[in-house]
Amino acid sequence: MRTRIILVPLFVMALATTAAQAHAFLDHASPLVGSTVPAAPHEVALTFTQNLEPAFSSVEVMDGSGARVDQGKAAISGNTMHIGLKAIGPGAYRVRWHALSVDTHTTEGSFTFHVGGS
Amino acid sequence: MVRQSGCSRVFTLALLLLPLSFSNALAHCFVGARFFPATLAIDDPCVADEFSLPTVAWSKTGDVPPANEWDVSAELSKRITEDLGISIGDTWSQISPPGGPKMAGFGDLETTLQYQLLKDSSHETAMLLGLIADWGGTGASNSGIGTPYSLLTPTFYFGQGFGVLPDQAGWLRAFAVTGQIGYQFPTTSYDVAQGTYIPQVLTYGGSVQYSMPYLKSEIVDLQLPDFINHLIPIVEAQLSTPVANNFGNSPVTTGTINPGAIWVGSYFQVGLEATIPVNRASGAGVGFLGQLHLYLDDMFPATIGQPLLGKSAPPQKLSF
Repeated sequence: MRTRIILVPLFVMALATTAAQAHAFLDHASPLVGSTVPAAPHEVALTFTQNLEPAFSSVEVMDGSGARVDQGKAAISGNTMHIGLKAIGPGAYRVRWHALSVDTHTTEGSFTFHVGGS
Repeated sequence: MVRQSGCSRVFTLALLLLPLSFSNALAHCFVGARFFPATLAIDDPCVADEFSLPTVAWSKTGDVPPANEWDVSAELSKRITEDLGISIGDTWSQISPPGGPKMAGFGDLETTLQYQLLKDSSHETAMLLGLIADWGGTGASNSGIGTPYSLLTPTFYFGQGFGVLPDQAGWLRAFAVTGQIGYQFPTTSYDVAQGTYIPQVLTYGGSVQYSMPYLKSEIVDLQLPDFINHLIPIVEAQLSTPVANNFGNSPVTTGTINPGAIWVGSYFQVGLEATIPVNRASGAGVGFLGQLHLYLDDMFPATIGQPLLGKSAPPQKLSF
């Protein structure tokens, strides 16, 4: 019985690896999540754990007052999103994203980064 | 007769609850940016397409002298619709009293019908109603592992992420709590074979969990090793207290406190916890609990990862 208990999940996992996709988690970002950067970045780049559906995935960047400081349209390819930024000064900025992985699982999240010493 | 009665109640409850839904369901337990993992001792607050195989536990029982007990269980959870799910599971147990004969066999088949009351993404809140049924006579009742009578437990589950706290709360925002409370009653009040009354029991438990994935993606990326970034350290508690029809039985609360950790991957999670009895009646010494848990909706997104009736909600075009 114990052998069967071990083999069954291994079999199921082996089947799944042939074609499976999964939820797209944020793997890393530039600027880093929660980081303080000395100079204003020209873009925000997000890398996910799965490939994305561009039509249903997006990102926006806002300043402390909630005003958009991104350039509107994200470039989405494979598992990455890039969005250009307007000229921004020192302060705190929030990045908010939605992602739809290619198997239609949705995820969302947000984080902040700081420019300068504030 | 008992099964017909149980099924009837289950479907009546489901029909009553159908109009109450105002959730925007996702497959397994994502609520906004928060992911509630499948907990080992209690249930998470979401319907899902998941498979726990196996869950393995070892402990020393509360008997005097204590017996060694191994439990190996499996549970399949399946969404019927986006918000209505059912799970079915069973446990094989082996109990070895010191100097006595071993007892082994399957426990009673357990089914749970669950309805997702709420998934509030912006507040990281999830609520779920369930009806757990342990079907009497389906296990090894001759050896005392199964019972000849059924048990029904209406249960309320909740989950709350601390991401709703202001940014100033910093790393505290990676915490989350889940809990459940249920009232278990048997389908008969007296066990003729054992000569004892069968108590009605309050069952309750909770978890405090700290999500390293949430810390990394929502609060601060400390560039820790990848293995650490997939961990959710957790403390679970699982308790029960007899509250009625308890004549001649011990009235004491029993249960365990379980510190451990869950490693979360894209297609499965692995959890390991110590089980610490809250008192002598709950066990003798520290045991352990381990589980491999498969995310069927991620492994088979187009087939068995879909609800049985209808498909998952279509994605919405985003406004930004």
